[in-house]
Amino acid sequence: MEFLNPTALLGFLALPLLLIPYLTKKRPRRLTFSSLILFTQSGTPTSRGPWGRIHLPPVFFLQLLLLTLLILALSEPVFSVRPTRIAIVLDNSASMQALEEGKTRLTLAQQKAESLTQELGSPGRVDIYTTTPRLQRVNAEPLATVQANRVIAGIKAYDLADAPIDYDQSLGALAHEQNYQRIYLMTDHPAGSQGTITRVISVGKTQPNLAITAFDVRRSSIAATRLEASATISNFSSRDEKLRVALKANGTTLTSRDVITRAGNAATVVFEGFAAHPTYEVEIEGADALPLDNRRYAVAPASRNLRILAITPRPQAAASLKSIPGVTVDVVSPADYEKAVRRDYALEVFHFAAPATLPDNPSLFILPPERNSIVESGAPVGTVQVSSWREPHELTRYINFSLFRPTYARPLKPKTAGDIIIDSPNGPLAFALEHRGAHYLFLGFDPLPYLGRENLPMSIFTLNLLDWFLDSAGTKAQGTAEPIAFGTVEAGDTLVTPAGKKIALNGRATVFQDTYEQGLYEWRHGRETRWFARNLADEQESDLRTPSRIDLHDIVKAPGTSSAMFTFWPYLLIASLLLLFLEWFISPRMRRLMVRRRTVQPA
Amino acid sequence: MLTEPFTPEFLAQLEALRLRTRKEFLGSQTGSYSSPRRGTSLEFADYRRYAPGDDLRYLDWGIYARTDRLYIKVFREEVDLFAYIFIDASGSMAFPSPEQKFLPATYVALALSYVILANQDHVKLHLLQDSSGRASPFYRGRRRMTNCIEFATSASPAGLLQLGPSLGEHLKRLRRPGKAIVISDFLMPAASYQQGFNLLRAFNLDISAIQILSRVEVDPPFSRGRLALVDSETQREINYEWSDDSRREYQSRLAYHNLEIRSFCHQSGIHYSLYVTDRELSDFIFATLPATGLFK
Repeated sequence: MEFLNPTALLGFLALPLLLIPYLTKKRPRRLTFSSLILFTQSGTPTSRGPWGRIHLPPVFFLQLLLLTLLILALSEPVFSVRPTRIAIVLDNSASMQALEEGKTRLTLAQQKAESLTQELGSPGRVDIYTTTPRLQRVNAEPLATVQANRVIAGIKAYDLADAPIDYDQSLGALAHEQNYQRIYLMTDHPAGSQGTITRVISVGKTQPNLAITAFDVRRSSIAATRLEASATISNFSSRDEKLRVALKANGTTLTSRDVITRAGNAATVVFEGFAAHPTYEVEIEGADALPLDNRRYAVAPASRNLRILAITPRPQAAASLKSIPGVTVDVVSPADYEKAVRRDYALEVFHFAAPATLPDNPSLFILPPERNSIVESGAPVGTVQVSSWREPHELTRYINFSLFRPTYARPLKPKTAGDIIIDSPNGPLAFALEHRGAHYLFLGFDPLPYLGRENLPMSIFTLNLLDWFLDSAGTKAQGTAEPIAFGTVEAGDTLVTPAGKKIALNGRATVFQDTYEQGLYEWRHGRETRWFARNLADEQESDLRTPSRIDLHDIVKAPGTSSAMFTFWPYLLIASLLLLFLEWFISPRMRRLMVRRRTVQPA
Repeated sequence: MLTEPFTPEFLAQLEALRLRTRKEFLGSQTGSYSSPRRGTSLEFADYRRYAPGDDLRYLDWGIYARTDRLYIKVFREEVDLFAYIFIDASGSMAFPSPEQKFLPATYVALALSYVILANQDHVKLHLLQDSSGRASPFYRGRRRMTNCIEFATSASPAGLLQLGPSLGEHLKRLRRPGKAIVISDFLMPAASYQQGFNLLRAFNLDISAIQILSRVEVDPPFSRGRLALVDSETQREINYEWSDDSRREYQSRLAYHNLEIRSFCHQSGIHYSLYVTDRELSDFIFATLPATGLFK
């Protein structure tokens, strides 16, 4: 017999409380009298205990039985039979790498899963699922016990946050579709209520943890030469912590800082004046529950030289970008675009032009022609009034939009989903989208003629968009599972994962999706090497104090399937109600009988 | 300094009283109680034949005229009285509080002491407790009243009392017969108080018994229900279902118990009186006690 809600069994601890009304009711008033010689003939000797002699009427035992049945019914007992077809869902999120007395939570979960498969015996068949990056089956065909154990042992935790899975619904659907007799979810989340088929098996306990939740190496602007790095350290514990944070590059410590983080708060450490390296790593010195989030990686920002390919019928307007330090501009006419070698450009600017398909490089489209596949242009507007803009956003920072008055604009009509950055009553003026890891920006106005002091907001906007594109070139650290966009891949290109695994890139695959490990990914592209940093992006995953509870409920069984459990608590509930009725019927009569007996004969 | 209830008026009234004894004792000095010896009081006792040397003033000349024989009139000797007041100072005397039972008992004892002292007789106070009972020295004269008060009020009721053995301890040191007054609640088995009284009788003492009860003991104010009653002396505990019936039963038992004491005292020549402490002390002293024959 098992209990689906074993917490209710704690109610048995409260059963002795039932005695209290009887003890207090039966406890005689204790009075001192000068002499008892006149009472002794009719009095009865009593024990010297504080409660006197306990005299429990039969109705007490009826009430005791009633409460026992109620508690049993609340604990939802089920008779279980040995299942033959089960699914084991292993939580392989980042928090499962947390250490519990030297073992990771995943190891503990694997051990429990293996013990479950052992109980199945030889006729049992097991399917193994993992939860990250999504709920997916690991094995193609149902596995025998030995094979299942082998698969379970081979599962590794990803450096990813929990996938947003509604376990109650998802596991219910799995049981329904695959006819599982039991589904066990092995996770580090605490179990709430259990279903008859779906069960949560928890591993690990709440622990304090320190985590680096943000790390960035940047220049203050495109024109700046000096690097600065900042790291945010969050303290997920109940006490203040003093710790040392080290900035490293190529395995060597460049500099370190001591920082005090208040309980439940975050502190930021800023590093300046360190040597330039292609990649950086920041690390908390010392061990805690989850080693994964004690380090974080970043790639040095791209050099201040930004190569732009401008495709425009008006070369003199695009040439105005050359006045920005660090920017080099090559101008081609729209007709020569297809002939141009575009691989080495960090940005393509289409000025009154548009390609047939979205380019691989990040691209800026200024007043695209009416006929293009990405966005339609509306009717021209003479005086443009900005009605709203995205804030905060990298493109709109430092801009006073009351002064932002382009004299000519053609509001856009996007054909695809994206972010409207600047809007007007006539339609969007700036529209951004991200595709295969590259940024694309469409403008319904032309900022290029206004560069300089004549229209300061427009100049700031232009610098903002160049920064924005620079960030999209893959220099900024991103979260795990965010894809790496390579742009153009050639035969012989390889990608080296943080674990050291070399992946040969197919010439057609320009995006690498499986960035499930935290660390630095190295793209070897001919003689050139580019770095990409991926870090655990969810702070919640580092907070090991209050994981959310998983509640599972009974699911509707598919017709023709059988559960491995026989639920009988409703019968207990019915029995409790019958007893309650009996007690309600008997109790007042018993009381009247006792009173009558006492009045006839002294105690 | 005497305090309530021993006001000057109350003391003046006490001075008018004299203790009555039903036995004659050999006193130590001349007093107002008759002695078995012949003496020089005014109270005629007997005649005896004249013998040479007798005082001719006591010749009864009338008999000589009628019978021609010489007879001498013999008079009783009047001596002082030695009185012993035994006060029960056991735990039961503190119920429901010492102020409601033990203190009235000491007031009765002190009032009697003052009557004795005012008559220039001797009084000795005894506290009846377990084996460690105390006794005062003999006091004589009104001015010793303060000593009596100090002695009586210095006691605090406690412990278990076995009346017979406790009295026996005190009687070992008793040299002169006289008047014995026992003040107690007598809430004890009949055998116990009877043993005590018999001991006193064996010492040829003229005995008076004053039973002290509080109103709570006469009419217990318990509300109905189960009670765990604890004996104030033995700490024994019994369960008791208190109801109107049991109240009546208790009161009838108490009445029977008191009747037993009264009956025993009557048969044994002992003055008996009952004082329920919610009654006025003066009323008890000046009305009840004379009626029982304790005072002349």
